[in-house]
Amino acid sequence: MASIQGNWADAYRDKWKWDKTTWGTHCVDCYPSNCPYHVYVRDGRVIREEPAGDFQTIEPGVPDMNPAGCQKGASWSQMLYGKERVLHPLRRAGERGEGRWERISWDEALTDIADAMLDAIEESGVESIVRIGTPAEGGTQSMALSGGVLDRIGVTSTDVQSEINDFNPGLYATFGRFDPAASNDDWFHSDLLLIWANNPAYSAIPFYHYVAEARYNGAEVVTIAPDYNPSAIHGDYFVPVRIGSDAALALSMCRVIVDEGLVNESFVREQTDLALLVRTDNARFLRQCDLEEGGSESIFHLFDQHSGRIVEAPRTLDLGALAPALDGSFRATLADGVEVEVAPAFTHLRHRLEDYSPEDASVMCGVHPENIRELARKVASRRTHILLGWTTGKAYHGDLMERSMCLLLALTGNWGKQGAGIRSWAVGMFDGQFILRDKPRSGQEATREIVAGQQAMIDAMLAEDPTATKEIIIAEMSYAGALPINAVPSAFFWYHHCGYREAWNNAGWGDPSMKRTFDEYVDEAVEKGWWQGSATQAAQAPPRVLFEIGGNLLRRQRGGQRMLLEHLWPKLRMIVSVDWRMSTTGLHSDIVLPAAQHYEKPNFPYTTPDVMNLTFSDRAVEPQGESRSEWQITLALAKKLTERAKARDLVEIRNGNGERVRLDRLYEEISFDGALADDDAVIDEIIRDSAVMGTIPADTTLESLREKGWVRFIDWGLSPMALAQASDLSPNETHSPFRWQTEKKEPFPTLTRRAQFYIDHEWFLEAGEELPVHKEAPAQGGDHPFQITSGHPRWSVNSMNSTSSIILGTIRGEPVAHINDGDAAARGIENGQSMRVFNDLASVVVQARVTPAVQPGQLVMYNGFEPYQFKGWQDFSNVEPGMVKWLHLAGGYGHLRYRALHWQPVPIDRAVRVDIERAS
Amino acid sequence: MGTITESKRQLAWVFDLNKCIGCQTCSVACKVLWPQQDPGTEQMWWMTVNTKPGRGTPRDWEAMGGGYDAHGKLVLGKVPTPEEIGGGWDFNYDEVLRGGRGSDVHLHKTSGAKSWGMNWDEDEGAGEFPNAYYFYLPRLCNHCTRPACVEACPKDAIFKREEDGLVLRDEDRCEGAQRCSSACPYKKIYFNSARGVSQHCIGCFPRIEQRVAPACVRQCPGRAAFIGFLDDEDSAVAKLVKKWKVALPLHPESGTEPNVYYVPPLSPAPLREDGSFDESGDRIPPSYLESLFGPGVHAVLKSLRAELDKKRRGLDSEVLDTLILYRWKDALGHLDRDPAEIVWN
Repeated sequence: MASIQGNWADAYRDKWKWDKTTWGTHCVDCYPSNCPYHVYVRDGRVIREEPAGDFQTIEPGVPDMNPAGCQKGASWSQMLYGKERVLHPLRRAGERGEGRWERISWDEALTDIADAMLDAIEESGVESIVRIGTPAEGGTQSMALSGGVLDRIGVTSTDVQSEINDFNPGLYATFGRFDPAASNDDWFHSDLLLIWANNPAYSAIPFYHYVAEARYNGAEVVTIAPDYNPSAIHGDYFVPVRIGSDAALALSMCRVIVDEGLVNESFVREQTDLALLVRTDNARFLRQCDLEEGGSESIFHLFDQHSGRIVEAPRTLDLGALAPALDGSFRATLADGVEVEVAPAFTHLRHRLEDYSPEDASVMCGVHPENIRELARKVASRRTHILLGWTTGKAYHGDLMERSMCLLLALTGNWGKQGAGIRSWAVGMFDGQFILRDKPRSGQEATREIVAGQQAMIDAMLAEDPTATKEIIIAEMSYAGALPINAVPSAFFWYHHCGYREAWNNAGWGDPSMKRTFDEYVDEAVEKGWWQGSATQAAQAPPRVLFEIGGNLLRRQRGGQRMLLEHLWPKLRMIVSVDWRMSTTGLHSDIVLPAAQHYEKPNFPYTTPDVMNLTFSDRAVEPQGESRSEWQITLALAKKLTERAKARDLVEIRNGNGERVRLDRLYEEISFDGALADDDAVIDEIIRDSAVMGTIPADTTLESLREKGWVRFIDWGLSPMALAQASDLSPNETHSPFRWQTEKKEPFPTLTRRAQFYIDHEWFLEAGEELPVHKEAPAQGGDHPFQITSGHPRWSVNSMNSTSSIILGTIRGEPVAHINDGDAAARGIENGQSMRVFNDLASVVVQARVTPAVQPGQLVMYNGFEPYQFKGWQDFSNVEPGMVKWLHLAGGYGHLRYRALHWQPVPIDRAVRVDIERAS
Repeated sequence: MGTITESKRQLAWVFDLNKCIGCQTCSVACKVLWPQQDPGTEQMWWMTVNTKPGRGTPRDWEAMGGGYDAHGKLVLGKVPTPEEIGGGWDFNYDEVLRGGRGSDVHLHKTSGAKSWGMNWDEDEGAGEFPNAYYFYLPRLCNHCTRPACVEACPKDAIFKREEDGLVLRDEDRCEGAQRCSSACPYKKIYFNSARGVSQHCIGCFPRIEQRVAPACVRQCPGRAAFIGFLDDEDSAVAKLVKKWKVALPLHPESGTEPNVYYVPPLSPAPLREDGSFDESGDRIPPSYLESLFGPGVHAVLKSLRAELDKKRRGLDSEVLDTLILYRWKDALGHLDRDPAEIVWN
């Protein structure tokens, strides 16, 4: 076989050899992750990794998902041994952020932390301990297991959704779920892919191929973006939109569809609220309570063309023999005998769309009227999937953009079938990790009891309302705070403790259509009880101890470094960072605890419908230095907390809800008397529990996954985002969400039980946003000529890989911002030179990348770089005011209520205004 | 001077530039696998991806000469300088993370090239907004049928492997004269100053000997990379290069007869002055593509468009089905073994 000989050739052959392989995968935050890798180990060292490439074909005629990986995955082993690794517990020996450390023992570190926690509890209550709700590395260890002790004693956890803001408020407002997540192979079924506010060539490297392959299969690919981004280059059409004008474009396409008679009327009648009657006098839906004393507020009405009468709308999507009118004006007699005019919401929509003729919209969005018409006709005639990214949710009026996109799909019948729909993200199905804390004892018998209890509760609630679904019931439990996710919406924490109140009240940076101050809206929202106890809880407890486990708050938070270091940090007596690498947050912490890296512990990334597999990552090598898995850190902290609590005779405390929490048996409780103290034991327990819960095959165990590496899910389980998929989980079909709506006529979990485009909440009416509308982005940061757009970088999963020396070698070795060539020339800035980016808030220096691919007036700053990669550590978060949209404080309305990971104010960073000059 | 021998069979790579997303997974997979981080190899990237149009790696390599002239005579060109190759950076991690100087110091390069790297002009391209244009071009040693490096080597250290045509270097024999580098028109040869030898892509020959595809191909998440024997009619490579002739070599005028082929890039319709789509216009100037892939590129693009049209009309297209790659392993030709199956003694 080996025809060539010589030492040199043998050296290469030898270089490739290994002793053993284990299964490995990485963090979820590149989304969807779950790429199965083989990790190659030699002489006790991980030498490299490579995709397993062993996915089978799911649906005949659809390409398989292999090989699934990327350049970050291909160099994860390099970070294992990188210089950014933290290998020992460290205590700050200088000022915060100085980078002067004292190496201490685990015992010392945990003692310091436990004492600080107990001080805080005694002084200000356990809610003064804050766990930042970070997706961290998005794994079972760092998310589910690391919370063991903190969640149990009732610390304040900020909601991960607002921390990261990968929320799609417009999808949520429309569907009562923000998280349709087709499996990536479903893209192949599309006839028209609209890559919109998204750059999958960067953000979905393992799965972008489905776009290219769908195109080869006959689909057209259209990219709608301000800049000619790397996903646009392989499309058929590039539609450059003015920054922030996407709603105008979508609404104009809707207008064309309506004008040209292309509306899929039966779909609109069945799936949406557009046939529901709205009162002309007050712009509110006609409710049962309008018509009869003591009537329901959540029964709505249609005008049935067959009977010529106003009838109650069914609480499911099954219209039976009804033929609801979409147009017309009708009379209804109210309970008090007064007669009012009512008209279907569709009539109001027609009126709204009058503002969006292609010619008018062209002025708003910069797209040629004929292009708008052509695009509209394409959408109306083809199976269309909007490949939405997570940029819209980070735009001030991103909810309006999303609602407009959903409307476009509604009018054309484009959801609930393969190859159609709109995309966000979802996690779920690996349900064992969610019930661990609720189990009275270890073992699967306890799991079966819990499952039976849950089923009985669901059955009882379904018996009460047979038109409901399991999803609706779980959502209701979540609204009531009954699910084991202990979160408060971060916005209130920021408002009260982190200095954001001033920015949010800055009229110049907020929505010009706000009729009152931000403070007034906050007060009203709290007064009306729209935010339950969560708002007051955050307001009352002064933050004293902060945990950031695997995340990087000071990199991630909009406006974060400036705001948090100035306002929050001085209030904190102890800041703990748990991480395998030294982040900017780590540098500003009091104690850094070294976590095991991905190849040093058994773990799973969060699981998603995009890939539909449970993907195992094993301990290829022992944790380096003194690093430990998050589970071991949790258990050690539990032990220490009990020991120190006993020493000060503080064995029982009260949490924020006034419930008693005992501190004297924490380790025993969390580890099930030591039965699950071992990493393998707890991971095996979670796997077996998931099997009992029916989401993975019954014979799945840690051992079977060590053998096979991954397993396809067989059912959704009970987590909200999994149920939101609302389609059968088929073993041999791609997954397309919402098929239970189109095929089984199950209701949406919204107020009206339909896809809801008309929102008659008083604040939405006040804002003029009862229907989708285009609004210009406010001048966040001041009146300056450039707008910053951002996005997930190609080269890093958040900041995780941004300091990897090998990855830095594939870019310019430092942060760059992309500026249009004409803009750069006008300012005398040459490619590679430093430029100063500034606004009313701050000034940042960054290297310029000059390119005609960027729109004039746009500055693209891909995120992910550590602040400490910028001069003076001044990164782009410094020029972001970190606004939230006031309207997202609205509540008390059907699905517009807070539940963990869902409806809440989320931070904005798109279209921040800056000016730019050449740096001296 | 070395002598070029004819190989019995020839392995070839195909990169589909309509699927390549410039992610650098091939580059990183190669860099991590082979000794490209040892002393003397800091600047080496045997595999690279560059944005085109662009100056590439090494910087302005296309103007450095090499290959054969119209009479088939070897032309010696320039040997790229370390600054032109770029990169080779180390960083001040300890100073920033543990140095106690706070924000007075930030993470920055402490060694290597001043103003170039292997992917310095990423995503820049050319043209004028909104009609900017660019695409990605992955490059490795072309394992040429007529390798200029072999002919140029004064020590006869470079040879074509008989059974698969890989162009390999006997590193025990190489004395680092760098005439290979001067002769290579693609400038994919690097000099290891620590060892005093030149190095280039080894075609992952140890993997190929075990029937495992090269790392650049096997790790390509865009499923843009294909490998196989050109005379293996069942291989995707043979179909694309020989049967349907939709893959072309880069700079065929170099005369070295490269064995890395490219499916040339289509691009979105450009916009007219008034902003409407110009369906029949070319966003990437055809003359630019011709300068890279030769005059044959026009026919290939025409044929790809015709095939796309067929698919859109619901007809079959074998070419596009091959590029779709329903079964990923079909990209790997006979080299479809899972490396993790191998147990070394």
